[in-house]
Order: sequence, then structure tokens, then C-alpha cells
Amino acid sequence: MSIAELLAVAITVLLVGAVASLALARWRRLAGWVSTAFVAAAAIAIWVVVLRAFSSPAEGEATVLVLPGLGARLSVVVDPLSAFFLAIVATIAVVATLYSVDYMTHFAGNTLAKFYPILLVFFAAIVGVLVVSDFLFFLVCWELMTLTSFFLVTFERENAASQRAGLKYFVITHAATLCMVVAALLLWRECGSFHFGDLLAALAQLLVTRPVLAHTVLGLLFIGFATKAGVLPMGDWLPDAHPVAPSGVSAALSGALVKMGIYGLVRFFCAVLPASAAAVGWGIAIALAGTASLFVGTLTALGQTDSKRLMAFHTIGQIGYICLGLGVGIACLRSAPTLGALAIMGALFHAANHACFKACLFLGAGAVLYRTGERDMNRLGGLAAAMPLTAGSSTVASLAIAGVPPLNGFASKWLIVATCLLAGMRQPLFLILGLVAMFISLATLASFLKVLGAVFLGEPNPERQVSEVPATMATAQIVLAALCVLLGVLPFWPLRFIREAVAASVPITVPSASELLGGPWGLSVAGGGVALAVWSPLALVGGMVVLALVAYGLQRAGGAGTREVAVWTCGEEHAAATVRYPASSFYLPFKHAFEGIYPRIRWRVPAFPAGVRRAFDVDSWAYQPVARLVERSAGAVSRSHVGVPQVYLLWIVVGAVAVVAIVLGLVG
Amino acid sequence: MTTAPLLALALALLNVAVALLLSPLAEGVMRKLKAIVHSRQGPPLTQPYLDLLKLLGKEDLRTTGGLPYALAPALSLGSVLLLATLVPLGAAPPLGFAGDLIVLIYVATTSAVALILTAFASGSPYAAVGGSREMMMLLSVEPVLAVALVVGAVKAGTLSVGGILAWNAEHGPTISMAIAAVALFLALQAQAGKLPFDIPEADQEIMGGPLIEQSGPRLALFRWALWAKQLIFALLLVQVFVPWPHLGIVPLDVVLTLVKALLVLVLVGVIDAVNPRLRIEQAMGYYMRVALSALAGLAFAVIGM
Amino acid sequence: MLTWMLVLMVLLPALAAAVAAVVKGALARWVAATAAALVAVLAVWCCLASYGVSYRVALGDLPWLAGTLPAPVFGVLLDPVGCILLLVVTVIGFLTVLYSTRYLSTANRDHPEGPEAQGRYYFWLLLFLASMVGVAISPNFLQLFIFWEMTTVCSWALISYYGTPKSLAAGFKALVMTAAGGLFFLGAICVLFAKTGSFEFAALGQLPGHWRSAVFVMLMIAAWAKAAQVPFHTWLPDAMEAPTPISAYLHAAAMVKAGVYLMARSVISTSAVPPKVALLLGAMALLTMFIALSYYFIQDDLKRLLAYSTIANLGYVMLGVALGALGSVTALRGAMLHILCHGFGKATLFLCVGAVAYMTGSRSISALAGVARTMPLTATAFFIGVMAVAGVPPFGCFWSKFMIVAGAMRLPGAIGPVVVTLVLVESLISFAWLLHVAQKVFLGKTTPVACVNSDPPPAMSAVLIVLMLGCLVAPAIGIPLVQWIGR
Repeated sequence: MSIAELLAVAITVLLVGAVASLALARWRRLAGWVSTAFVAAAAIAIWVVVLRAFSSPAEGEATVLVLPGLGARLSVVVDPLSAFFLAIVATIAVVATLYSVDYMTHFAGNTLAKFYPILLVFFAAIVGVLVVSDFLFFLVCWELMTLTSFFLVTFERENAASQRAGLKYFVITHAATLCMVVAALLLWRECGSFHFGDLLAALAQLLVTRPVLAHTVLGLLFIGFATKAGVLPMGDWLPDAHPVAPSGVSAALSGALVKMGIYGLVRFFCAVLPASAAAVGWGIAIALAGTASLFVGTLTALGQTDSKRLMAFHTIGQIGYICLGLGVGIACLRSAPTLGALAIMGALFHAANHACFKACLFLGAGAVLYRTGERDMNRLGGLAAAMPLTAGSSTVASLAIAGVPPLNGFASKWLIVATCLLAGMRQPLFLILGLVAMFISLATLASFLKVLGAVFLGEPNPERQVSEVPATMATAQIVLAALCVLLGVLPFWPLRFIREAVAASVPITVPSASELLGGPWGLSVAGGGVALAVWSPLALVGGMVVLALVAYGLQRAGGAGTREVAVWTCGEEHAAATVRYPASSFYLPFKHAFEGIYPRIRWRVPAFPAGVRRAFDVDSWAYQPVARLVERSAGAVSRSHVGVPQVYLLWIVVGAVAVVAIVLGLVG
Repeated sequence: MTTAPLLALALALLNVAVALLLSPLAEGVMRKLKAIVHSRQGPPLTQPYLDLLKLLGKEDLRTTGGLPYALAPALSLGSVLLLATLVPLGAAPPLGFAGDLIVLIYVATTSAVALILTAFASGSPYAAVGGSREMMMLLSVEPVLAVALVVGAVKAGTLSVGGILAWNAEHGPTISMAIAAVALFLALQAQAGKLPFDIPEADQEIMGGPLIEQSGPRLALFRWALWAKQLIFALLLVQVFVPWPHLGIVPLDVVLTLVKALLVLVLVGVIDAVNPRLRIEQAMGYYMRVALSALAGLAFAVIGM
Repeated sequence: MLTWMLVLMVLLPALAAAVAAVVKGALARWVAATAAALVAVLAVWCCLASYGVSYRVALGDLPWLAGTLPAPVFGVLLDPVGCILLLVVTVIGFLTVLYSTRYLSTANRDHPEGPEAQGRYYFWLLLFLASMVGVAISPNFLQLFIFWEMTTVCSWALISYYGTPKSLAAGFKALVMTAAGGLFFLGAICVLFAKTGSFEFAALGQLPGHWRSAVFVMLMIAAWAKAAQVPFHTWLPDAMEAPTPISAYLHAAAMVKAGVYLMARSVISTSAVPPKVALLLGAMALLTMFIALSYYFIQDDLKRLLAYSTIANLGYVMLGVALGALGSVTALRGAMLHILCHGFGKATLFLCVGAVAYMTGSRSISALAGVARTMPLTATAFFIGVMAVAGVPPFGCFWSKFMIVAGAMRLPGAIGPVVVTLVLVESLISFAWLLHVAQKVFLGKTTPVACVNSDPPPAMSAVLIVLMLGCLVAPAIGIPLVQWIGR
């Protein structure tokens, strides 16, 4: 089968699955299992596509439909960049659906007829976004994706917060889409086609001939994609929308949906800018936007006490890292191809890593919500004993997002920060951005230590009987946590594929994988034949294991016995609940220092001035006066009808005389 | 900078041994010094060794179970020892082929992660307060460390710690590196957990903070990790930022470096002895100003001074 | 064959109207539904049969004009432009009649309606259907005018159907304003005849310069009045006193479309529209969109809100026609597509509101909330209608709006981007507000008013399902049709 046929199979499977789950929605678990089966089948087809795209030379475009009047045609092509994102989506989709099987059983008041079908169409739309190569149909898939995710976000019908968040989400992203529509049309005006290749060629041309127009187009596209990706300030929808969605959906949103914004940025910015003179300017702009986003997003996250909201803010922060990497890459790619390519690869790798650990974290928060009904971390604590699998995978994912070596978050952050600092030697601004990124990485750590401390560690609440989540939910989390470890310890292997993706999407020749990354056991950034920065996870993990064993040997050397004791509160008796250190108390002085970093805007319905209102009300100043005038004059006329025959006779006589007089006057 | 594997292994063993075996001595020197300043007799120089030995044999009282909790002290000490292999001691860092300054900075936080998680897990409110403070101190100090190392990186044009050391030894002192060295020295005070920055432990208010529920061998390992860490950071300071005189003969350089590191720690001890404890927000403000001043060093480095 | 089918499509509903007026009770419903169904089937058949060609046959002449005209006065014309209107009119007409069979009943909590007066309702409704088909297949201005005025009368009768003082006033207002517009239409025809001796659409091109402008302006005024464009937009919200199926059909899908259809006809049949007139048409369309938008936020009656949305969307069509007059075929095609897509979308919305009113007895935005709990199908249909009307892909109006803005983008210089920006801003705000209202009414905690048992009766639900599908497939039908326009 060709790639296009395989994709058709995948999308058909998803749509058939949507119908099937709609029919079975009454049986909650069955519908979940059926959906999972269909998603898994589609994911297999997509993985085959991914492997084909990486292994064999690129297959040509397949055109499905032509709209002659507009110069648009529905054509499908999978290059390594699409394949890379398809791999992320396929993985996250299966995991999120599997997780939902049991998770969705506890929404008793809401029918699942508005969950699984929409979820499956949502996945189909994402696949569509990644494979079409025509902007009009890209927009169609893109908005279908927004539309379906809107219904997933507003799944809890009676929850006012869900509805508000959903409205905000849809309106903001719809505005962004309209920006993209304008950008596409501006390019279409130049080239008369919506095909990606033609649009990009037109954009490259415009950058030379009409830079102002070109920058307008780029700006509009940036707004469009960055909004979806959650870059501040356009990403303001994200911290509202992600927490209120069912947790499987939150994972899919953070894991897959926001990545589509990154896909768009790479597809359009990395494909044109690096070869143009505007590369450095736009690179710096994107890097600055990313840094602002990671700084504000993460520091705001630090102050949150709602677990899912906290993670949503961290999504903004991590997307900031990705944008920082992209910016550095775009700025450097022409002058230093190695550095630039590595920066973009770091950004894409971070996108994949973020999909793993953030999805895992949302699933973990969902597991806690499922068992305790609580998202407020102030009222949680000590769940590690009761939910060891959830606690374990959440811990791994937390450390991964915080960039603790050797987990995957560190590997990609290392690439981003290292390239940023090395780029800083040419463009000092990047030094500052790199330092900020490192500082924020530590703030992320602080934030997730708080989560772990407040939710899983400490004394459990004795009044709450909690047990581990069902196997489906636990499996989903463990798979993602395992991926976090695997991608972190063996970063070279995924990065080889990511190199293909980058090479396929930038206009500059990218050095080979071994040249870029050094040997297969670690990563290095080379400059002038010398390794300027290195990270070999296996060597360090080996060292760490040996040294920790040495340390453990020391600990056991004295042969000391162990004994379980109660917590010592200086001799006074306290209930554990009264002396708990709640989540809101963590890092108070630090949080105060960054208060107000995230301004809140209140939207109001536009109120028109009274004058304008009156001017618009044509009835009151035009038609009604005229109507009244007509009525009054009709009244005046009707007064002449007195109903007395003699008066009418008189009128006849007067009339006759008048007629005669006029006729005589005219004749004479 | 390519080191033969065997030599690297030998150097790594040396670094680990130094961090493990000499760090209590450095602590002993600082205690003695503090006593002298306070006009006390003070404990013998070997007292930290004796403390460790005694603690290793005492009963281990735990408030909570679980494998991660049981392993946390070993992870903490282990990661500090790993840090030791990333820091130069008389020669390029032994594991320099596996990690650069970014790795160093991130590994340096790992032991703190183990300590803080242990504190949160122990269930004591004092430990939680201490853990929270420990994290805030880390947040305050780490930018200083990062800026200082990046100054070196800009000067040397590489992120490799060994490369910075080599460049610095070759080119002699510069303004930017001097600023970075001063900043790093000021950060050392907090990394060593000494007054006026022993806010996370603060024995008199929160009774040892993160360590309140640790006893016996667990307490020994956490203490050991802390002492090793202060020695390692002193080594980092004297080796990377003040590497002169760099003789090129490894044994002599090692001895010289250790002496310099001890001198630095003596200075830290003196500051510890004559200062009262600051409040956490004062400490944060102080280190923010230090980090911003260190940026001046970065500016000098960028313009080539 | 095709000729007689077309004539039959006018005669059949007219005949059925007469029958429905005299028979009693349920029989009237059946007669009406059957006739409307037949017409719809015939219309689809005719559109398929004439796909891609312009089918034209002369039928008869006025005795006193015989031989003086280039072509006889009466005849039939079916081309892609007419097909679009024909499909909207007949398909949605049938669905409306079907819907009405259940809507007009004693079970209706908004307006309980016994079987006795329903003959009158179906009489006017079917007569309207007949005259609207006549509009769609008229080959020249004169015949078009005759059917046009018939629709006005039907509209008046149907708006006033309930006979309350308010509905009588609203009907009279609609009648006066559209008939006044009709006078301008008549004036235009007179001038056309006097100057060219013809009633043909193409005769517009033969008019000398300033007369052509004058005729176009008169036609434009007529179209504005019919399509409730500024400054004649005030009758449409008041016309919401009509029974809801009537609002859906006459005042969203069909009759108001006659106004924009007239403009589209005029523009398509001649390539010589004076640019100033086209600019005026476009500017007024933009003004209409924003004035209509400004009324959204103060509406509490769902139907009035939808009426303003209709006004704005007709503004889109007018804009597309104006752009077409300025030379953009894409925009013109988009405008014609919008007639179709908006017809389905807005009919869905109105019939949903009808269903809600039927079950709950309320149309008040502030009184209703959480209706989706008991009426999931209606809620789904309403959301899909909102998406369709607001232009969220893959639903209908996205494609038509996209074609219109694409055409606008081709305007020279900075005007293109500015117009596009204005249009999209309007689109975004109206989308946001409609979505907000949809959420307010259908989601959230259920209010006491909204505590009903179920979705509306099967006939009404089936209509909603068909319309939902229509929102999705309308562009698939419309795009192949409109691509023949402007060839």
C-alpha cells in the first residue's frame, strides 16, 4: 500500500471507530475498549507510515481532490517532519484513549456519546493537519481539530469553569486561525495557489522583493501557530482549557495538540527563514517570545495549587524552551549549520519529550483526581503509599520535566541550552536567554518538588481510603514514564530520526547525524573539530550507579538496625492534618518576589455609546416619524369626510367650478 | 583534552577519594576555626570522622517506609561523588568527556533533590519548611554559579570545564574571570550551608530542617554529602577560576589545589564564625544582586576583557 | 420535459395551496407535505438534469407586447445561479413544511395551535413556495418582479399569522418596507424597458452610462429592502413575530435571499456594472455587517439574535456580489455558495430555537440554560448550526466565506487586506457571541424553564438531523454548481 492509502486506512478506521463508539456509548467501558482498539489499529497504520517515511526515499504527493476555482487541491504527503509528529500523536493517542477507558467511568452525569466519537475525530483531524500539503485543507483540518478539542474541553456540561475555558479557548484560537487565513491569502494573492511549496516559494520571494509584506505574513503566521502552541501572551487560553478537560484529554492536548503549533512553526519558519537575510531578526524574536513564555509560564506555575492548572502553566513554560531552541536554530542555521541544526533538533526532541512527560503528569494528576476527587494540592498528601505506581511514574515524569539527568527532559534541555550558550558567543543576547533557561529549569524543579511533596509524600490523610488506580490507567502512566527514561538514556537514537526531519524541512544542508552528535552513546556539539559541549548519559549513569552503590555500602557498613517511628513534633502531640505543610505555603517569599508577573485581563461585552445606538436605530429617527407624518396627513384628509350629503354636494359644486375655471383659463 | 581511559579512571578514583575522605577534615578545620574565633577550645580536627563513624553504627529511625526513601541518602551522596568526577583536580575533569558545565550544574542540584524529597517524605513539618527553604536557596545560588561558569565558557569558547581550565591557565587572569571568581566565592558560602546562609537547616528555629527526621547512617550520609559538596565547590573555584600556578605535573598540582581549596574554606569558615543568620528573603535578594553583578563579568567577557 | 417539470414546480404547490386552504385538519398537513416533497424531488432532478448548462425556453407573451421584444416575456430559465436558489427554496421548503406539521399543534408550549386555522397557514406557505420557485426560474426582470411581489404578500400574511397586535404591526411593517423597495424595482424595470425595449437581464449592459448607474441603484435599493440590508434592516427582527418555521424559511433561508439573488442576477448577466455602484454596494454590505453585529449583544430573544445574524450574513453575500461586480469571479461564486450554506445553517438554528420553544415555551436567552441535558439532539444541531453559520470548517459557510474573502483579497492595493480584516473581525466577534449564547442556553446547570423531558417529536427531530447533514454537505453540492458561474 502507498503511504496515502495507509493514511486513508488510518483515518477511516478512526472515523468508523467514532461511529462505533457513538453507537456503544451507553456501555461506558465497552465504548472505551472499542475506541482504544480502533485508535490502536489506526496508530499501527500510522507507525507503518512513519517507518516508511524514515526508511525509504520520500514518496510523491498524492492528490485526492481538486478545487479548481481557488487553486486549492487536497494533496497528501508525509515527509520526515510530518512523520516525526505523527509518531508523537500516534503514541499519545493510544495512551490517552487507553487511560480513558476506566477514567471516563466516573463522569456519571455526562454521556460518553460526546466523548469517544469526538476524541477519535480529534485524532483524525490531527493526522490530517500533519499530512496535507495544501493550506486551505490544512486550515480545514486545523479548525476541525480546534472544534473537536473545544467539545472535549467543555465535556463537563454543568461545570461553568469548563464552559468559560472552552469559550476562551475557541475564540482565541479561532482568532489566530483567522490570522493564518489572512496570511495564506496574502501569499495566495502573489502565487495563486495554496500548495505549501508554492506558498513557501512566494514567501521566500517576498522576503527579497517586498520585505514589509513578507514580515506581515510571517507575523500573522507566528500569531496563528504560537497561539496554538501556547506561547504567551496568545497562549493565555491554555491554563484555563487544559485543567478542565477530562485528564486523558488534557494529556492529548498537552501531548499532541499544542505540538501542532510547533509543527506549523517548523514547517513555515524553518523552511524559509534560515536562507534569508531576516533569519537573525526572526530567530531572536522567536527566541525572545519563547524565553518570555518559559519565564512567565514557569514562575506562574510555581504559585499554583491546582495540580492540573500548574501543569498547564508548565506546558507554556516548556513550549517556551521549544521556541527558544527554534529561535536559536533559525538565527544560526546559515552561519553555523551544526549549531543551528542541533538547536532545531533540540527543540523537536523537547517536543517529543514534553509529550511524554507532560502527558504522564496529566494522567498522574487525573489518577489522583479519579481516586480522591481532588485537584487542590492543599488538601492532598501522602498518596505514595496507597498509589505507588501513580506516584512512581509521576515522580519520574516530574524529574524529567525538571531536567534532572539522565531523564529525557535533561537531554533535550541540554541540547537547547548548550546551543543557546554557544550561539551566545556570536550573539550575546543568547547568553542571557540561555542563563534564563537554566534558571527556569531549576524553578521547574522547585515546582514539581512541591507537587511531589504536597500530593504524594508526607503523612497520608487517615480519613481518606485510597487505592491504586485500575490497570488501564496505571499502564498508560507507566508506558509514558518508561519512555521518559528510555529517551533520556539513549538520546542518540531518536535524534537520528529528528535529524532527518530537520534536514527535510530546512533550506540549508544539514551535516550527517554522526557529525552532528558524535558517537552513538552520547551527544556532543562540535566546533572546529573539538567537542565544545558533551553529554554521555550512559557513562554518567554508570558512574552514578557505582558511586551510589558505594554510598549504600557505606550506609550499611555499620550494620545499624532500622526501626519505624512516629514523626517527632518537638514532644507536642499534633494531628498530622493540623501540622501539615500545605502546597500554598511552599516557597512563599520566592513567590512573593514574582507576584503579578501574569496579568489578568477581564473581557467585557462591548457597550456602544448611546449616540451610536440611536444613529443605528433607523426606525426611531427616520421611519417612525415618516409613518407618523403619513398618519397625521391621512387624518387631516379624513377630517374632510364629515358624512353630510350637503357638504359633499358643496364640494362637487366647488370642484366643478374650479375645473371649468381651469379649462377656460388654459383655453383662453 | 582527550584523556586515556585508564588515566581518566585513576583520576576519577582520586577525585572521589578526595571528596569522600578529605571533606570531613576540611569540615573539622572549619569547626576548629570557628571555635577559635568564638574563643572556645573546639573539637579536635578529627571530630567529623568520629561523628560519621558513630552515626554509621547507630540505629536508623525512619518515619516512613518505601524503597526510594531508603535509597535517598545513598543517591544524595552518590550524586555528590559523581559531581566530584566532573570537577577538575589538578588536571582536566576525569569524566569531562561525558559532561560539560551544563551537566555539572544539573548534577549539582541532584543531591539537593534527594535531600528535599526525603525531607518532604519524612512527614515532619519542620523538614517540609527546611526543604522549601533549601529549594529557595538553590534557586538563589544557582544563577550565580551558572553566570560564573558561563563567563568562563565565553572566554574559552567552549562549554567544557576542562577547556575553561586550560584556557584560563594559559591566558592568565582577566577582569571578567576575576568578577566571576568573586561571585562564585560568595555563592560558596550558601552552597556550604554556612552562616549567614544556613537558613534551610537553621538548628535554632527548625532544628536541622530537612535532616530533623534523619538519624544514624542516613544522617551520616547526608552530612557527608554536604561536606563533600563544599569541598568540591571550593575545588571548582580554585581550579577553574584561579588555576595558577599551573605546573603541569599532576601530583604537585593536586596538592597545590587542595591547599588552595582549604584556604578558601578557611575564609568561608571565618565568615561563618562572625555573621548572624539572614532571613530567607534577605538571602534571596543578596544573591540576586550578586548574580546581576556577575552579569557585569559576562559583559566584560563578551567584549573580550 | 424539463420545461414542464419546471412549470409543474410552480403550479403544483400553487394547486396544493388551494387544496390545503379548503380541506380541514390533518389532511391539509398531508397535502402540503406531499406537495413540498414532490417539488423538492423535482428540483433536485431538474438541477441534475441541467447541471452545468443554462436551460432556457420561452413560453408565452403578453398580447400587447407580442413581437416588440427580443424574447417573450414569460418562460423558464434554469442555470447554476438559479439552481442554487431553487435547491435552497425547495429542499428547505420541504423540511420546513415537514417541521410545521408537528410544530403547529396543541402540544406547542410557545404557541398552542389547534388544527382549525392551519389551512390558511399551509395556503400561504405553499403559495410562497410556488412564488419562490418562480423567482428562481424567471428568465427576465418582469417575470421575476411578479413572483417577487407575490413573495412579499405571502411574507406579510405569514408574519401576521398569529393575529396578535404585535404580529400584525410587524407584518404591516415588513409589507410596507419590502413593497416600497419593490417600487424601486418597478421603476428600474420601467427605465430599462423605456431605454432598451427589453426586460432581459442582459439588457442592463445595453443601457447608456448614467442610466445604467440609476437602474443599478434602484435595483440595489429593492434588493436592500428585500434582504433587510441597512438602511432597511429594521423590518426583519420585527418579523420574528411569525411562527418559527416561517422565520427559518422565509426570513433566513429563502425570501430574503431573493434580494441578494436579484443583485447577483444583475451582476452576473452583465459585466458592465459601474464601479462606483459596486463600491457603494460593497461599502453598504460592510456597514450592514457591523451594524447588525452591534445589535447582537443586547438581544434576549434567540430569534431576534438570529435575525440580526441573518442580516449580517446577507451582508456577506452582498459583499461577495459587489466584489464580483468589481471583477472577482471567486467572490461571486462564494456569494452564491453562501446563499446555499447559510440557508442550511440558519434554518438549522431557527428550527432548533423552534424546538426549544416548542418544548419549553421560552425563547429567552436569560431564562434558558442547560437545555442540552434533556434535548441533546437539539443542542447538537444548534452547535453545528453555530459552527456552520460562523464559518468554522469543515461546515458550510467556511467555504463560502473563504471564497468571498479570497475574492476581496484580490482587490488592488491595501483595500483588499483591509476589507478582509474587517470581514474577519466581524466573523470572529459574531462567532464568539453565538458560541457564548449557545453555551449559555444549552450547557450549564439546567434552569426550571428548561426542565423538559425530551427532544421534539420525531418529525421535527428528523428535520434537524437532515439539516445538520446539510450543513456539512452543502459545500460539496454547492462548489460543483458555482464553478459554472462566471465561465
